[in-house]
Amino acid sequence: MPRSLHIPLLASLLLLSASPQQPRDADKDTTAILQANYLYNIAKLVEWKDPGMRKGNFIIGIIGNVNLYQELIKQYATRTIGKQPIEVRKLPRTAEVEPCHLLFVGRDDLGLLPGIYTRMSGKPTLLITEYEGALQDGAVVNFVKVDNLLKYEMSLANAHGHGLVMGVTLKNLAHRVDE
Amino acid sequence: MKRMAQLLAVALACTSGARAQGDALAEAMRAYRAGTLAEARTFVDEAVRKTAHHKDPEAWLLRGFIYKDIYKAAGPAVADTLRAEALSSLHKSLALDAEGAFKESAMQACDYLCRSYFTDAAKALADQDDHRALRMFTAHRSCIMRLDPKAELRDREVEFTNALGTLYTKRHTRDRTDTASFRKAVSAYGRVLELEPGNYGANYNLSTLYYNRGVFNIQGIRADDGIPSIMQIQEVSREFFLQALPYMLKAHDMNPSRRETLLGLEGIYYSLQDEESSDKFRRLFEQMPLDEQR
Repeated sequence: MPRSLHIPLLASLLLLSASPQQPRDADKDTTAILQANYLYNIAKLVEWKDPGMRKGNFIIGIIGNVNLYQELIKQYATRTIGKQPIEVRKLPRTAEVEPCHLLFVGRDDLGLLPGIYTRMSGKPTLLITEYEGALQDGAVVNFVKVDNLLKYEMSLANAHGHGLVMGVTLKNLAHRVDE
Repeated sequence: MKRMAQLLAVALACTSGARAQGDALAEAMRAYRAGTLAEARTFVDEAVRKTAHHKDPEAWLLRGFIYKDIYKAAGPAVADTLRAEALSSLHKSLALDAEGAFKESAMQACDYLCRSYFTDAAKALADQDDHRALRMFTAHRSCIMRLDPKAELRDREVEFTNALGTLYTKRHTRDRTDTASFRKAVSAYGRVLELEPGNYGANYNLSTLYYNRGVFNIQGIRADDGIPSIMQIQEVSREFFLQALPYMLKAHDMNPSRRETLLGLEGIYYSLQDEESSDKFRRLFEQMPLDEQR
């Protein structure tokens, strides 16, 4: 029984434990996972007044944020909002946005927002963003970071402008509601 | 091992010259020298039962050596018992040997057997048998302390407990619902940090363990979970991320050029919704040349 036998054995165990992790790959993108679930749940609690929006696929458009897009495809693409099957679209990085029920614009694409706000004005699209001051600019729902948690705030006035009725539960659970 | 056998031979040669043929101890020695260990065992067991040799340190020393050699050749089913018997005989020899005539041989044999417990603890970890690993390590520690009550075993315990923590972590990683393994891993790394607060591996691994637990909770969110559930799950995960943070910061302070801790901090801050700090460590990670890591 060689005296040094334990050394390579233990060393190999320790080396295995020290292999680097990749915390920002899609599987570990906790914010994307949370946002995807929020988008789905928010969509369930909003009413589109435009009858034309209550038929066909329920289109969720994503600009930027690949991980969020992937999470939506993975977890929610086979589900429905009401009776409308969800269709997730990864949209090109342009303000010339095609019509959709819900549009998320990530923080890497803030430069597109002025054009998007203009183009979407009065249209039945639930516009969701993730930057400070977004409700003042025209977003309906905005993700905010509070006490190390991801929450959302919403503007009822902006919702009204897009022909959207926000559910009571959605309002009650929001971090902040602009009337 | 040759030196140990030579020592034994010298030690016994000094005293056994006058033993009559037919004496059980002399027969045991003869059989041992001839390499017929089973026969030697029978004779030496007989010898120590007799009044003439019952309190004879030489007889117990020989018995210790015979059992040690049988242990070395034995299969796993009986090896532990044989080793314990060898040690018990050697301890008895040491206790009876008032003049210290056999002390060096007995101590060397004990030392070898004590060490073998650590080797077995390491093997058990490699076989993912934590119960046996803990038993073997405890036996190793007791064995060494009996030989030398002032022996410094901290480094050994750090090495072993770190590896034990890794075993529990792997088990928890295979089945994230296995929270018992999670708690055992936390406890193992916690013990390492009690012994050695500046242990890089334990700081990094403990942080990663907490971080992964927080991530796993969030990964467990299902479409049917409503917004109140999302908030509750986040709050639970936040506690794990907050627990992960100081250990990763410590690991980073100890070795700022390690890419893995930069990436770890980036991930923890990101999950804590602290974009500014997350971005800072992401930039540091991206700026760190690959060959800088030490």
